[in-house]
Amino acid sequence: MKGKVVKNQQLNDKYFFLEIKSEEFVTQANVGQFLMIKPGSQDYTHDPLLRRPLGIADVKDGKFSLVYMVVGKGTKLLSEFHEGGMIEFSAPLGNRFTLLENKRVALVAGGIGIAPVFWLAKTLKTRGCVVDLYYGGRTVDDVVLLEELKENTDHLIVTTDDGSAGIKGYVTLPFKENVETYDMVYTCGPKPMLQTVSEICINADVPVEVSLDERMACGLGACLGCIIYVKDGDEIVQKRCCVEGPVFDGSKIAWDKLI
Amino acid sequence: MSDRLKTVFCGIEFKNPIITASGTFGYGLEYAKHIDISRLGGISVKGISLQETAGNPMPRIMETTSGMLNAIGLQNVGVDKFINEKLPELRKHDTKIIVNFWGKTIDEYVAVARILDDADVDMLEMNISCPNIKEGGIAFGTDPKMTYEVTYNVKKAIKNKPLMVKLSPNVTNIKVYAKACEQAGADAISAINTLLGMSVNIHTRKPNIYNVTGGLSGPAIKPVAIRMVHETFRTVNIPIMGIGGIIDWRDVVEFGLVGASAVQVGTANFIDPEIPLRIIDDLDKYMAENNISNFSELIGKVDLTR
Ligand SMILES: Cc1cc2nc3c(=O)[nH]c(=O)nc-3n(C[C@H](O)[C@H](O)[C@H](O)COP(=O)(O)OP(=O)(O)OC[C@H]3O[C@@H](n4cnc5c(N)ncnc54)[C@H](O)[C@@H]3O)c2cc1C
Ligand SMILES: Cc1cc2nc3c(=O)[nH]c(=O)nc-3n(C[C@H](O)[C@H](O)[C@H](O)COP(=O)(O)O)c2cc1C
Ligand code: FES
Repeated sequence: MKGKVVKNQQLNDKYFFLEIKSEEFVTQANVGQFLMIKPGSQDYTHDPLLRRPLGIADVKDGKFSLVYMVVGKGTKLLSEFHEGGMIEFSAPLGNRFTLLENKRVALVAGGIGIAPVFWLAKTLKTRGCVVDLYYGGRTVDDVVLLEELKENTDHLIVTTDDGSAGIKGYVTLPFKENVETYDMVYTCGPKPMLQTVSEICINADVPVEVSLDERMACGLGACLGCIIYVKDGDEIVQKRCCVEGPVFDGSKIAWDKLI
Repeated sequence: MSDRLKTVFCGIEFKNPIITASGTFGYGLEYAKHIDISRLGGISVKGISLQETAGNPMPRIMETTSGMLNAIGLQNVGVDKFINEKLPELRKHDTKIIVNFWGKTIDEYVAVARILDDADVDMLEMNISCPNIKEGGIAFGTDPKMTYEVTYNVKKAIKNKPLMVKLSPNVTNIKVYAKACEQAGADAISAINTLLGMSVNIHTRKPNIYNVTGGLSGPAIKPVAIRMVHETFRTVNIPIMGIGGIIDWRDVVEFGLVGASAVQVGTANFIDPEIPLRIIDDLDKYMAENNISNFSELIGKVDLTR
């Protein structure tokens, strides 16, 4: 698929917000899915070779948005796209979050994990849920789009490791205090955070869905490069993050086997 | 589409010379959701073994400059599940099916080949070159006596299907291996498999792949593949399927000129599942514009005069 860049806005030193117009993509997309995007516009170079996986952060009016962090050459090239430029990407890929109605839910996001959580918060809100978002980052630079998030949640609890924004400390602390009040928890961010959130939920007997990320080559289930280990009774089975995920039941992940 | 692309390889008629490479196209069904796989000349499925195989621990892949390393560890569902669960679905699509297979011992190679010889598939491709499994692969593909031995025994055991042997590039002189395959009775050669490589994360000082080393594929390896197909073509009389770094129609023409009768597209499928179909269309256009009535007219036509 191809779309036109509507906006590629720098949010701060690390984060960008990219908006792309594509009716075709938008009509197929589900909350929790991701895409593989071509990090560059030239046809005559094959470096970087592979497309990059990014979560779908929002969908509206025939446009979709991505929130990304510049960490290497692919995301650097992505940040150089100008308004009006054409960009290539895959169809929406992977499974989706389970969407509840009229329930109390908590979303726990760490750093760039905010991307899929943004659209999830908006969607759950329109479905009548009470949505509390616990959003943690290392510093003030790692918590973005706060105005928009405030509008689309009932409570927004921000934490940073150094106290430069919101409460000082890990995001899992304020979340843990309230976990029992929720019908469902959704989380995306660094793996240690996802593991802690899942353990808190298991102990409180609250269902939890985690969105995982792994290095990916194809995003289609063919290369077998993106394995996630999941508990199935006494056995540990291999799942492909790109097709059986990226959303998994947090209580079933074999965390100690993930890197 | 015209007859320009029709390709007869080992007596089998392919719609076109574009086949998707083993390990980069799953069992074909993964891609059927995204493209019309019946437009492909053929599909070489993920390497099949006697027993289901779990593969290596993670991380298994890493991008490199114009290429990627992989050490998947030959994860596959095993020959029985492949035949019972995957093949009937795949057969609903009108394209040729090549089954890539491997074993840890000659007996295992022979056993898998026998089962596949009686299955509803078009051709067998024997992987003797996978660098990932310590006990198997590497020994068969990097010792000419072993290459001969395994090819001879498998060929003797099968009656119905052509046998193509896939060569390892991790050798000093590929001609010796090509010759060994031909003498042992192989019907065709495919070349090349991945080149053994390694990369290290300088911050953690750990290898980027759990297995430490991995197989390098993608555009980065194309010149090596072109050279090896060229040398193989000048050594044997059996047909060659060229593999390694193919991204567009130009690459296919280049492989044809050095002696490939057909080609396989690998890593490019990961970048964009439309690539093999685009290659088919573009190749047809190139041939029409240049009055080439069949792909076979290009085979081995590299001009070496100086
Ligand atoms: C399903 C999924 C959804 C994702 N969603 C987002 C998102 O919404 N926003 C966002 O900014 N990032 C997201 N990522 C991570 C993103 O894909 C990587 O940051 C990106 O591929 C890095 O590319 P690069 O060329 O800039 O970096 P590279 O030069 O390839 O690598 C730079 C660094 O990034 C690490 N890295 C590379 N690929 C990944 C990966 N897939 N996951 C984690 N780390 C990686 C490398 O190990 C290295 O340390 C997602 C990943 C997955 C699998
Ligand atoms: C992820 C991955 C898995 C592969 N698995 C197999 C395999 O099971 N059997 C095999 O013979 N070759 C396998 N290969 C090698 C390819 O079929 C091909 O020979 C090689 O990648 C070179 O072609 P390319 O540069 O077009 O990818 C694999 C390659 C990759 C990248
Ligand atoms: S990225 Fe290739 S199987 Fe998941």
